[in-house]
Amino acid sequence: MSFDFNLILQSLPQMLAGLGITLQLLLVSGFLGLLLAILLLLMRISGKLYLDWIAQVYIYVFRGTPILVQIFIIYYGLPQFEAIRESMFWQILREPTGCAILALTLNTGAYVSEILRGGVLSVDKGLLEAGSALGMSARQKFIYITTPLATRLSLPAYSNDVISLLKSTALASTITITDMTGIARTIVADTYAPYEVFISLAVVYIIFTFGLQKLFGVIEKYLSRYTVREE
Amino acid sequence: MEVLNGWWDDYFWGAIIVVEVFIASLCLMILFGLIGAGAKLSSNRLAQRIASAYTVIFRGTPEILVILLLYYGSAITLTAIAQIFNPEIKFVDVPPFWAGTIAISLIVGSYATETFRGAFLGVNPGSIEAARALGMSTLQTFIYIRIPEMWRIALPPFGNHMLSLTKDTALISIIGLNETLFVAKQAITVTGKPFTMYIVVGIIYLGFSTIITLSVMGIEKFGNRTTVGTR
Amino acid sequence: MSDNNTKPLIEMIGVSKFFGTFQALKNIHLKVYKGERIVICGPSGSGKSTLIRCINRLEKHNDGRINIDGIDLTDKVENIDAVRREVGMVFQNFNLFPHMTIAKNLMIAQQLVRKTPKAKARQVAMQYLERVKIPEQADKYPIQLSGGQQQRVAIARALCMNPEIILFDEPTSALDPEMINEVLDVMIDLAKDGMTMVCVTHEMGFARSVADRVIFMDEGEIVEEASPQVFFDHPANERTRTFLNQILSH
Repeated sequence: MSFDFNLILQSLPQMLAGLGITLQLLLVSGFLGLLLAILLLLMRISGKLYLDWIAQVYIYVFRGTPILVQIFIIYYGLPQFEAIRESMFWQILREPTGCAILALTLNTGAYVSEILRGGVLSVDKGLLEAGSALGMSARQKFIYITTPLATRLSLPAYSNDVISLLKSTALASTITITDMTGIARTIVADTYAPYEVFISLAVVYIIFTFGLQKLFGVIEKYLSRYTVREE
Repeated sequence: MEVLNGWWDDYFWGAIIVVEVFIASLCLMILFGLIGAGAKLSSNRLAQRIASAYTVIFRGTPEILVILLLYYGSAITLTAIAQIFNPEIKFVDVPPFWAGTIAISLIVGSYATETFRGAFLGVNPGSIEAARALGMSTLQTFIYIRIPEMWRIALPPFGNHMLSLTKDTALISIIGLNETLFVAKQAITVTGKPFTMYIVVGIIYLGFSTIITLSVMGIEKFGNRTTVGTR
Repeated sequence: MSDNNTKPLIEMIGVSKFFGTFQALKNIHLKVYKGERIVICGPSGSGKSTLIRCINRLEKHNDGRINIDGIDLTDKVENIDAVRREVGMVFQNFNLFPHMTIAKNLMIAQQLVRKTPKAKARQVAMQYLERVKIPEQADKYPIQLSGGQQQRVAIARALCMNPEIILFDEPTSALDPEMINEVLDVMIDLAKDGMTMVCVTHEMGFARSVADRVIFMDEGEIVEEASPQVFFDHPANERTRTFLNQILSH
């Protein structure tokens, strides 16, 4: 049993051709998911009970079920309904890519909103009291005190979620999308060489993850520039 | 809804499989996590390096990829080995249950490594010093001071690891484990109702998540009964 | 000192405050007149912080009335905002906004609450930074300043809003000993200029030299209220004597 390096050299370019799709899934879902997360966060801290409730139920459902099931429900399940097939969303929901992006967005939105909420709750209460004492309104306190500080505080957990999102994009391969994992599975089916193909693909993901961690490290350092004493 | 008749017992046995995977992978996850944490905390450079590699690899690789690699890779390896002894053998399989269980245990175990390591370091050094000053041995300090405190610190993230294990079980359906998602796929070919079938899977997993979350909350409350003050 | 013909600036009548079943303030009656310097002392848990935090509505009182310069302190937002415009506060932990420069810390409330234009806000900020003697720190971040400097900035920040009254909640308790005096000096300076001050503190030297009245609180009640001479030399109440013995003995 030997390790076929030639095979790796042949299959890597093929798998990397799927990098574009992986990136597309990551960036689009990441961005839309962040918007959704902010919306859910505002609903949770709005003070209006019914908004808080709806957001909580949503987050509970999407964090409590496997993302693969969510992908299957959207891609395989929704076409069961004629109403969906006739609607204007059908163009998006017919395509596996659209479904994958939708599922990933809905899922990451739930996780990120809790991360942001954790950041908001971590802001030193004393600072908000100082704002109150100075006469600032609730809205002013949220914009000028809470948001800048919560953003920095949320960053470590958020970077972990982005990495999770990257790994979840591999699940798109289960609904026929030819991202890097999808291509890899095809190659393995042809060549019966799971070790060479999957291990080299794993290395690609690990490098990608490493890059993301470094990137977030830089951002964190920049945002924390006022928390470190310069002697 | 009547379409589900006849499938309830299949779903039931699928859910049992989820429980079995959970129990097996929970034990392994704790084992891997403790070994990893122990290695990282030890003074042995080699152990630290190996543990670091472990966490980097399994936190940076998509879960589905690890499952596929372990399943197909082990099949290839075992077949090759078996063929040495008996050239007649065409194919040796690793049961999807074990390939999947070991895969998700390794993955969540890498996160558990960090959790246990953090919990160990998070124990108040003052408490340790006090115990030693009182004359308690290293072992006594470990059992009566370190472990209870570590447990309290690790519990919330540990609860999340248990949730991850539960949800990752759905991924094992991809390699043929007949848990609930797998059952759903079969049911769809017969009934033609993908949405209904997958929603049931979602509900079952949501049920498991809820049980785990409530249990962890209960244990947390019990664990914190002495530390939460009145004012 | 106190003019009985004019209305008090702060008036608390029969004020009680509960945290759940625990009663932090029991039937408090207090009058503070313009220009007075009041020091409140007492053991921890006596309710002194709660009392002053009720004055600017950081805590909500459950019973009784609180009146600040004619404004009744209720749930009405306009009233609360009006009160907070008149009352400034200095916190034990300074509570400077860590993500803003010193100057911005002093300017932000002027710009948002008083709608002061940026240039004027900066001018006012620099003026008060000079007053607390650290104008050169204007463009630094709070983390770069010592505790004593941060607290002086906090005092300047409160002053930028031109309050009628300043509340001090244990302003020197979180400071290393060598920095306490620089803050007390600023407070003495303020007192000389006639600022109305209500100060919760353990600094008895400050109380003796600056206060018009010293109030001793214990278990949510005002136990004794007197001029510093009477308070420190001939305290009337047994509990006051016990407390003074405890804190002044070493």
